[in-house]
Amino acid sequence: MAKRVESAVAAACPGCAAAQEGRALFCAQCGRIQPPPGCDYFTVFGLRPHLNLDAAALEREFHGLSRRLHPDRFIRAGAQEKEWSLADTALVNDAYRTLKDPLRRTEYVLKLSGTWGGPGKEKTPADLLEEVFELNMEVDEARAAKQAGKDERAQRTGLEAARARVAEMVEGLDRELRAQWPAWDAGAEDTRRSAERAMALLVERRRYLSNLVREVDEILGE
Amino acid sequence: MRAGAAGLAVWPRWRPVHDNGELKSGETTMAYSEKVVDHYNNPRNVGTLDKNSAEVGTGLVGAPECGDVMRLQIRVNAETQVIEEAKFKTFGCGSAIASSSLATEWIQGRTIDDALSIKNTDIVKELSLPPVKIHCSVLAEDAIRAAIGDWRKKNGAE
Ligand code: FES
Ligand SMILES: [Zn+2]
Repeated sequence: MAKRVESAVAAACPGCAAAQEGRALFCAQCGRIQPPPGCDYFTVFGLRPHLNLDAAALEREFHGLSRRLHPDRFIRAGAQEKEWSLADTALVNDAYRTLKDPLRRTEYVLKLSGTWGGPGKEKTPADLLEEVFELNMEVDEARAAKQAGKDERAQRTGLEAARARVAEMVEGLDRELRAQWPAWDAGAEDTRRSAERAMALLVERRRYLSNLVREVDEILGE
Repeated sequence: MRAGAAGLAVWPRWRPVHDNGELKSGETTMAYSEKVVDHYNNPRNVGTLDKNSAEVGTGLVGAPECGDVMRLQIRVNAETQVIEEAKFKTFGCGSAIASSSLATEWIQGRTIDDALSIKNTDIVKELSLPPVKIHCSVLAEDAIRAAIGDWRKKNGAE
């Protein structure tokens, strides 16, 4: 379910008739606003697709585009340009939110490449399911004991220990994900593909585990 | 909606997440059909069968998009091929719990071939699941298949 930016990319700038490649929000010739380009989020900001993203560059480009898209600048614009400015703003915000967060950025890259997410993908590995199921059982038992009014403090400690363990596993996964970044950023085609496959497994595992952390938090907060 | 006494064994997740990990606002207040609520409050056949028994097939499946997991187990009479008992345990949303509860109800007393004819769309229809909850019913269909596959493997049929 890669959130590709759908748009009717203008073939030519309505202002100066310069051909548009669907890679920029503004015409390179005359600076006139264009409809949302159908490019990936990195290109929206003129950045190279990179997992080890230069955060400062992203901030800079985001603020630059936000300024150029500011509603004040379109007060006297025509209906179409107004509409484009709103659509472009939405795109820029989505792109920024996605790229800013390391995990979402990684997931985005995997979805773009079709390695992860969406229907028809490979089934979750059996050993991961076993592990997640066991952890869920543990937490469930602690919850049941808590509801049955058994030694509250002991249960709480048990749950907190379980939470710490799973949270640590999540942190470990984040480290492993980051370790794959350089291979994806710089690697040749096949290195890149194998990094994608490795990251897809890690991301999937992380989904199950972070879900579990959230569940435990909810029980602890009850 | 809170689980009743029997509901201690199942554990609902009321906060399905978007594929970007953010909570789906509004989903928490989503109206579940009466049948879902009924299965949720009185889940049928929650429990565990001995997974090491030759008579028992176990299906363990998960949905990565929401992190939910479901286990469905069957005890099959090798002679008649009839599923004599079915149990489930689901850590998931209300729809996943209802789907697996309904699945165990449907497959008990049926032959395994017959049980394999159950489609997730049958579950969607019976429980009136909305489009965002279809994957929960898919999980139940997958679980039936996985359990039967496991039993067949143990019994040398596959
Ligand atoms: S939301 Fe994941 S199984 Fe229902
Ligand atoms: Zn132009």
